[in-house]
Amino acid sequence: MNKTYHLLTGLHFAVCTLAMIWPGALIANRIEPTVLGLPFLFFWYILWMLVLFVGMWIAFVVRHGGGRHE
Amino acid sequence: MSDSVIVVGITLVYLAAVLWVGLRARNQESSSLEGYVAGGRHVGVVILFFILGAEIFSAFAFLGAPGWAYQHGSPGFYILAYLSLVPITIWALGPRVAKLGRERGYLTQGDMIADHYRSKPLGILAGVIGVLALVPYLTIQIAGAGLLFQAATDGLVPFWLGALLAFLVVAAYVFASGLSGIGWTNLMQGIMMIAIAWFLGLTIPERLYGGVGEMFAQLQQAAPEYLTMPGATDMSWGYFSTAVLVSAFGGAMWPHLFMKFYSADSGESLRKVSVFYPLYAYLLVPLLFIGFAGILVFADEPLARADTVLLRMVMDVANFSPWVIGLMLSGALAAAMSTGANLAHTAAVVLVRDVFGPTVMKGASEKASVSATRWSVLGLSLIAYLFALINPASLVMLLLGAYGLLVQLFPMVIGALFFPRLRRASVMLGALVGSVAYLLMEFVWSSPLGWHAGVWAILLNLLVVAVSQHFSQPAAQGPSLASRHH
Repeated sequence: MNKTYHLLTGLHFAVCTLAMIWPGALIANRIEPTVLGLPFLFFWYILWMLVLFVGMWIAFVVRHGGGRHE
Repeated sequence: MSDSVIVVGITLVYLAAVLWVGLRARNQESSSLEGYVAGGRHVGVVILFFILGAEIFSAFAFLGAPGWAYQHGSPGFYILAYLSLVPITIWALGPRVAKLGRERGYLTQGDMIADHYRSKPLGILAGVIGVLALVPYLTIQIAGAGLLFQAATDGLVPFWLGALLAFLVVAAYVFASGLSGIGWTNLMQGIMMIAIAWFLGLTIPERLYGGVGEMFAQLQQAAPEYLTMPGATDMSWGYFSTAVLVSAFGGAMWPHLFMKFYSADSGESLRKVSVFYPLYAYLLVPLLFIGFAGILVFADEPLARADTVLLRMVMDVANFSPWVIGLMLSGALAAAMSTGANLAHTAAVVLVRDVFGPTVMKGASEKASVSATRWSVLGLSLIAYLFALINPASLVMLLLGAYGLLVQLFPMVIGALFFPRLRRASVMLGALVGSVAYLLMEFVWSSPLGWHAGVWAILLNLLVVAVSQHFSQPAAQGPSLASRHH
């Protein structure tokens, strides 16, 4: 795997981590607007869990392809 | 009275089913060391996913997450954040650990450290710290099971009996089937937990407020401070953030997590598990709902212990039938037992392989090692059960202390995996300084800026490693010498 791949994966991890703690979560520290009935800060965490999942999924497919091979 | 009998009946059926699955999982491999400890190194994606999920998702998450939401409000997202970030470590370290384990026959953390740094005492030390951290952790699961039983059956099953029942089941299938038994029961208990958590998490706000959205709307009117940081208890961003970091990234130093990397059938499987791992963390969302639901319900008479909020909501407030209470008890027991099984198994493996192996059991046969590990599962479970009966408060201190020391192994492990140039003296000095600093901050002074002490300790640890690496002379040791070029 090349450098760009590792850089992008690392960046994805860093962004997701920082979004869930200081300072990333600061911008979401509010109740309005509510999304799906949830206060915004609660929704923010649910959103970033999804972003983390999608990013890792893409990284996985790029690295290993869809199927079961090395 | 008859209600409690129904609750007990459902739970006993559940325990019997877990026992049956766990004992049936026994196969020929369970008698070899690699089979008993690491499932023969070919555990596939689905089972691995549920094992790694169950390990992190303990009684603490099941009762503690709603407790945090109830007591603090938004700081409870700490649990959500750190559980979702755990897979980053699995992704980054797991495949490399699995590969080294396969090539060099490692089964524990101590194996890897002792071999890489050419130091048996270092491996023994890692083992001792591991056991010291795992046994109190196991005790907490056992005590959790006892408390749950007692509360959910209105005392029909007392604490000592509930704890005993749950952990006899666990000890029996771990003794007989090793990792294979843990895998299949974790799958079953994981599904149970997810189903119960979502059912309760959606039903309780529906019954009390008419829905989740309606519940948060009422909270916004009556107690908006719970819905944003710093929450109702004024938790600082500094503590919140550093606690997330220590739990998310230090967590992989727990031997029961780390050792599962060896059992994966491939690095690809470990990566696939980490991809789906954040979805497991969604299980916390309904549990947090239950905690938030408790804020207004118990506004006038706050609960003495926040982590009883789930129990109180289900039993006293939401007016569920005993059938639902029985299922709730089974789901919560699943959280305690599925983690406890891993803890008992790992503590026994570490004790026999890292501590006894190079000392009193030098040169023992594979058969003797497996047998010693099995009996250690029973012995350590018994010790943890007795601790739970005495219930000394110092246990939490022991857990905190030992976990803090485990995290200090981080640079040592990273060195063994990725930086062969790091020297034994540097990582040992770093771990020593980090450990002392952690213990002082946790138990003697307070931590600067109100941050989690683990973060300061690991920063100091890394600093010492870097300085020592820069100034000390490379000694003639280890495989690292060949790769040095300056």
